[in-house]
Amino acid sequence: MSTRFWTGSRRDTLAGYLFIAPQLIGSVLFVFVPLGLVFWYSLHEWNVLADTFTFVGGENYQALADDPKLADALVATGFFSAGLVVLNLSLALLLAVLLNQRLRGTVFFRTVFFSPVVVSLVAWTIVWSFLLQDNGGINGLLELVGVDGPNWLRGEGTAMLAVIVVQVVKNVGLNMVLFLAALQGVPANLYEAATVDGATRRRQFLSITVPMISPTILLTSIITVVGSLQVFAQIAVLTQGGPGTSTTVLVYYLYQQAFQFHHFGYGATLSVLLFAIVLLLTLVQWRMRRKWVFHES
Amino acid sequence: MSRRAKTAVYGVLCLLALPFLFPTWWMVTSSLKPVNDVFAFPPSLWPTDVSFDAYAKAFELQPFARQYFNSMYIAALVTIGTLAVSSLAGYAFARIRFKGANFWFVVILVGLLIPSEVTIVPLFKMFDAWGMVDTHWPLILVPILGAPSVLATFIMRQFFLALPGELEEAAKVDGLGRFAIFRLIALPLARPALGAVAIFTFLHSWNLYLEPIVFLSSSEMFTLPQALTQFVDAYGGPMWDIQLSAASLTALPVLVVFVIAQRQFIEGLAHTGLKG
Amino acid sequence: MKIRAILAAATAGVLSLGLAACGGEEEPSTGPVSLRMTVWSSNEAHLKLFNEIADAYQAKNPRVTEVKFDPIPFESYTTTLTTQIAGGNGPDLAWLLENSAPDFVGSGALLPLDDTLAKADGYNAADLSPAATKLWQAGGKLFAYPFSTSPFGVFVNIDQLKAAGQQTPAELIAANQWTWEKAVAVAAASATKSGKAGLVVRDFDYKGWDNLSTVWTGWGAQAWSADGKTCGFDQQPMVDAMTFLHKAIFTDKALPGPGTTADFFAGEAAMTVTQISRASLLKEAKFGWDLVPLPTGPKGQYAVIGQAGLGALKKGKNADVAADFLAFFTNPENSAKLAAYFPPPRTSLLTADTLAKTNPLLKPEQLQKVVIDGISGGVVKPSHTGQAEIAQAVRAALDPLWKPDADIKAVLGGVCSAINPLLAK
Repeated sequence: MSTRFWTGSRRDTLAGYLFIAPQLIGSVLFVFVPLGLVFWYSLHEWNVLADTFTFVGGENYQALADDPKLADALVATGFFSAGLVVLNLSLALLLAVLLNQRLRGTVFFRTVFFSPVVVSLVAWTIVWSFLLQDNGGINGLLELVGVDGPNWLRGEGTAMLAVIVVQVVKNVGLNMVLFLAALQGVPANLYEAATVDGATRRRQFLSITVPMISPTILLTSIITVVGSLQVFAQIAVLTQGGPGTSTTVLVYYLYQQAFQFHHFGYGATLSVLLFAIVLLLTLVQWRMRRKWVFHES
Repeated sequence: MSRRAKTAVYGVLCLLALPFLFPTWWMVTSSLKPVNDVFAFPPSLWPTDVSFDAYAKAFELQPFARQYFNSMYIAALVTIGTLAVSSLAGYAFARIRFKGANFWFVVILVGLLIPSEVTIVPLFKMFDAWGMVDTHWPLILVPILGAPSVLATFIMRQFFLALPGELEEAAKVDGLGRFAIFRLIALPLARPALGAVAIFTFLHSWNLYLEPIVFLSSSEMFTLPQALTQFVDAYGGPMWDIQLSAASLTALPVLVVFVIAQRQFIEGLAHTGLKG
Repeated sequence: MKIRAILAAATAGVLSLGLAACGGEEEPSTGPVSLRMTVWSSNEAHLKLFNEIADAYQAKNPRVTEVKFDPIPFESYTTTLTTQIAGGNGPDLAWLLENSAPDFVGSGALLPLDDTLAKADGYNAADLSPAATKLWQAGGKLFAYPFSTSPFGVFVNIDQLKAAGQQTPAELIAANQWTWEKAVAVAAASATKSGKAGLVVRDFDYKGWDNLSTVWTGWGAQAWSADGKTCGFDQQPMVDAMTFLHKAIFTDKALPGPGTTADFFAGEAAMTVTQISRASLLKEAKFGWDLVPLPTGPKGQYAVIGQAGLGALKKGKNADVAADFLAFFTNPENSAKLAAYFPPPRTSLLTADTLAKTNPLLKPEQLQKVVIDGISGGVVKPSHTGQAEIAQAVRAALDPLWKPDADIKAVLGGVCSAINPLLAK
């Protein structure tokens, strides 16, 4: 009797749902319920100390439009994310190409470039905060070669640059490894054919390598963009958003509003905004894949 | 490759390696220096006056060994739990045809897009309602079931998608159930992807900073990243030398394990479905 | 259909948790009570003393089964505390920093203490120095006990000054010449000689600007008026004070520049301006040191104090028990014990003899000049309702000042335009 009821597809449906159940229940509990709550908070004025929680409708959203500091934060976020993604992806690709050569010692260098990935983020950032001081190790090294280094974390441009570089060096190893794997997956006969046709190496790189690894470029760029919008501990340890507000990116501004200024309602509103931005950027990148990603698996 | 090209490549690699090696080198050597020498300018690259005092103090000032254990066991549990949850879900999304699979996959992927700062306050309220604040449960449950495990599920799905189906078909003909196929056929084949997920997950848990700060309040419950920022005198002034020794202690063992097992580490990562 | 069911369940969850956010007070219980107090010191000696006091209290009040002291890092103290309160998991008692005092005192988050203190045996609330309690009062009620009232002084590395052939502050004081001008000159000379830092305003680090009040008060400047409504940064005394400071940093190089760390207590600087409670950091000092009052400014002598209060949270399940413990924790007997680490607000304890017993590192003369005189006449570091947001705005607006070619007047005007809307709130 039961065999009849359990046709292949019903059985599969049950199995499918059982398999995804832990993840699905977890997502509802720890992603969607909190997200709903954040939206709910964003409609309120919530003063934690006075213990008041008042419904204010769209007032917090109105406030977004009138908040000059938010505009600054968005600009800083744009600079940070763009700088991080460009630097991270191009460095990762460069390292992958260099390590893809048949050379002795590539395993050593691969280990070196990947090693910061396994160092604890807080430890890494604390160390860099020492190194980047005016009398710190970086300027000490520069002095050895006769360069008078700038006061990294105190200059508006250099502080942003420093935060980006610290983050890139920490994480570029991951993307490098992914690129390396993708490069090794490009069939060698494509290059051989191109060489026979007289194509230069630069031409080969642009016409063969880049298209062949474009799915990896897409994936790493999505992960890197999303990651760049979540950078927090680095800013908190290195610059606390300064000098001025030059490194106050959206997540840090959100943290300030909610946890430091006790504006939990407005903080929740900023959270909703941040989520909307991440969602939008990801959708745009995903759509763009049709245009420039060579093959879709 | 010509000799000149080779020299050029090595030159570039060595130069680029500097910012990757120097911080760790500086951290370890400085932690062995007396505190006055930490700020010497220009910095000395080798400690002249080696002392392990700061290391001893790290254990005196805080239950550092306990905190070390906390971080280790939480990261281990999270890794095991995430492997189970994500391989199950990833397998289902890749290999089982069922109604709504695509819809639920997209729904779950939303978790990938949520910075933890966004949901930390409601999560705090929820765990407080369940009486789990100042326990390790939030640090274990949320990564295994919530947003952080979504990337793991994604990696597992991509891997299973690329797996040839013949073995499974044969097993099905032999009368094996779905779970048996998953456990006996698919999972053993997924070793590289599982390795990559394990590494990702372990590092993610090991590095968690905001969540422990929010959820934990007793020092014997603390995890390492949180403990690192606690080496301050009674008035908030950082104790530099002790901070650096503690930082070295958190970084070095993982680095050593990595260097020993780096081939499996990196190749496991490289052979996941992340290739696209 | 499934989706709808899940959404409905989620919405229900949202609603219940949302409502919990405005939840009411819980019934006072008569069962066993455990108390939790957040502190920012994880110093073992401190915690040992607290636990001894708590044990004594529990011995008298068997209903209280546990008193737990929760150290939270100083750096993120107020943030963590607020997050815990927001999550409905606030402590029963909490240390409070002076800069968050107006927020906590004014919001109604704390239980008024007057009645409890009046009832407590032998408490003698009249003994509390009015200068010390002022910050913690609102509407004539006391909301927190200022358990630490710590004046700022100047710690001096005598060895470094002598090596540079400079007069020590003690000699300058004797000659009635201990002025900021002189202090900066001495610091600059010492820095040139030692290659280390001259004078460090501790915890300023070009971010914690409120610590500069230890300097500008000597010029009669203030961050904002006493009623908190008028910005003081663009007024002449502040412009003069900041001009002096700017010159001391960038021309005289008497203070380490931005982005440079120098720890006086590790022997990296000739002098540091900080609270006297830091004397404990000199226990193992390998150099000769002294503690002197702040130099005089153009407006003459002055003192600045930093404070920390202890309050009982109204929302706690056993707020009345918490307040009772607070009264015990701070009664004359225990205040005397706490005075070993935290300068007390009780005038009866503020004698050089009493303090000397518990502060073996300091000489009676130092205690008299810096501590006792400081507490009675000191100006508290600036604080305001919404301090964190104002502090952040000031920090960001002041950043352009810390460059050699800064237009001081314009920058200070900018500080006022940044914080005026916040002061008006």
